[in-house]
Amino acid sequence: MKKVLLQSAVTAALSMSLMTTVNAQENSSLDIGRLAIAGYGDVTYISQGNMKDEEGNDIQNNVVARFVPIFLFQLSEKIHIEAEIEFSTNEEGETETELEYANMHYFLNDNTIITAGKFLLPFGQFGANLHPSWINKAVSNPGLYGGHGGNGSLGGITSILGDTGISIANTWNMGDAGRIFTDFYTVSGPRQEEGDHGGGVEMEVKKGDNNDSMAFGGRVAYAFLPEWEIGISYYTGEYSDDGDLNYSAYNIDFNWVGSYASVRGEIFGSTAETEGETEAEVEGEHGEEWVKDFDKNGWYIQGTWQARQLGKAWLNPIELVVRYSDIESDFDGSIGHDFEEDAGKMGSRIYYGINYWLEPSAVLKLGAESTSIDNEGAGHGGIVDDRVFLQLAFGF
Amino acid sequence: MKLVKLLLPLITLTISAFSVPAQHLSDASLVAKGAKVYGENCARCHNARPAEEYSKKEWSVVIPHMRAKAHMTGKESLAVEAFLASTLTADVRNTPSHESADAPKRTGAELVTQFGCQGCHQLKGEGGTLGPVLDDVISDKGEAFVLQKLIDPKFNNAASAMPKYPMTKEDIAAIIEFLKQ
Ligand code: HEC
Ligand code: HEC
Repeated sequence: MKKVLLQSAVTAALSMSLMTTVNAQENSSLDIGRLAIAGYGDVTYISQGNMKDEEGNDIQNNVVARFVPIFLFQLSEKIHIEAEIEFSTNEEGETETELEYANMHYFLNDNTIITAGKFLLPFGQFGANLHPSWINKAVSNPGLYGGHGGNGSLGGITSILGDTGISIANTWNMGDAGRIFTDFYTVSGPRQEEGDHGGGVEMEVKKGDNNDSMAFGGRVAYAFLPEWEIGISYYTGEYSDDGDLNYSAYNIDFNWVGSYASVRGEIFGSTAETEGETEAEVEGEHGEEWVKDFDKNGWYIQGTWQARQLGKAWLNPIELVVRYSDIESDFDGSIGHDFEEDAGKMGSRIYYGINYWLEPSAVLKLGAESTSIDNEGAGHGGIVDDRVFLQLAFGF
Repeated sequence: MKLVKLLLPLITLTISAFSVPAQHLSDASLVAKGAKVYGENCARCHNARPAEEYSKKEWSVVIPHMRAKAHMTGKESLAVEAFLASTLTADVRNTPSHESADAPKRTGAELVTQFGCQGCHQLKGEGGTLGPVLDDVISDKGEAFVLQKLIDPKFNNAASAMPKYPMTKEDIAAIIEFLKQ
């Protein structure tokens, strides 16, 4: 009897695996592939004739280029591997290489995906979904996602765009009531910058972690497709070398995508605990230690509109873009503190652009951008920060 | 008892073999569902990428990448793959095969369902919003325009998401007749 049971168990297992082979064969009428190479690239010309750096030297116009291949592997119906490498030339004409992501998806069931490796964090929209240049409607990034070139007068809020760890993503379908997307992850977390004061939060992603603690985060979104998606993200982790200083960030993103137009925006804030010491009353002794919050907050809103709505064939490839970003940073309420480069700044940036689409994923963008820093005391006040861009971007 | 043991694998095999064709990928309702899922999801983050940009094999690898990005379910992803595949021939240039001339003639209504036009277009109030409403397209833009659009969707818009279907002349004529109604 035991034998029979064993036999039927083996038979069951066998027929189940047979079933998957039958399935695979059936799918092959659709041609199951194993490898696909995709990716994107761009060439950007930046004209910034009126700009000076902090020492008052002219900042050069320049051309930068990027080539970002993506390697996608399908190992089985359940396992998928993806990796993206960025090759870029910078303003100095050097070539830089960076691993953007490299991870494995495990499709656990119909609505659950487990991801392990280095991945783009599901935090807000821009970092995870909108930054590739053929997707980004503007040439530059929204203010709160970091400056570029020039005197970089508008520093970014966060470094937490890509990291190594594990995530679980789910889709909850509620029929006519829309759907809910959830993402939760734990990653190695932010690091401390090297510097005199012990440093702030490192804004560049580096390998490995500096402390034992992991960072946690997640995003919960409500989507009413095809038009609406609203998400809330949160992230928290210890960043200092001894693991006692916290960095946390939140983001609220909203997206409306219509047939001809789109409006997107994000509200984004972060708080980094910073520590220091008051001056000692008696020479040679330690002062009092303090921990204070360093906050950065910002938001942006972006609108796009396709001229094909006007029904003139020659206008079909044209799209207009406007984006306004606003950012402020505040060191424990004291504007003008020089603890960090960005301490106590309020700034805004506006971008106007015209895009000419050559293909669904190839575009010529012409854009003009102007940044203003509202408080003179922060060091960058009064410096012109305007530029004109011309970019050719393509996804393939 | 012996017989049962012997037959068991056979029975399970047959059952499994039969359960598969039930969701065959060329199933018209799966294609229509895929067109709908595509219309609702594939322009959320970027311009929708038309089917003919990749081969069927490449799509089968790209779609899992997008399944993760878009938070699609496995079933939805399979439907999108089926929709994309249904608009592609084995030939990379997607030229219609003329073998299908022997195939039974299909009406315009059948073709519109089968090609998933309503995944992206509204007809009589039903359908997606990625593309414009088609009810009055013939009277507004003329038959020649629609004919040209179906032969080559990019002829007037290089960024069009509309697939270049491997349709025969008869198919196109039948669809135009249907759209006139
Ligand atoms: C949540 C945002 C989002 C949605 C929804 C989405 N995509 Fe994408 N898609 C992306 C991003 C981001 C990339 C670029 C990937 C990269 O550069 O890492 C991309 C890239 C692609 C590419 C280029 C090949 C590749 O894998 O990189 C194709 C093709 C594509 N998407 C098709 C689709 C289709 C078809 C759908 C609908 C099923 C879809 N996308 C839905 C965000 C999205
Ligand atoms: C994947 C989405 C998609 C599918 C499926 C699709 N279309 Fe389209 N179609 C579009 C989009 C987007 C446009 C508008 C952009 C452009 O000009 O190409 C369009 C434009 C059109 C136009 C021109 C309308 C105008 O006012 O300019 C016609 C006609 C048309 N489609 C017919 C069809 C028919 C018939 C089918 C089915 C055989 C079909 N489409 C399937 C996306 C789609």
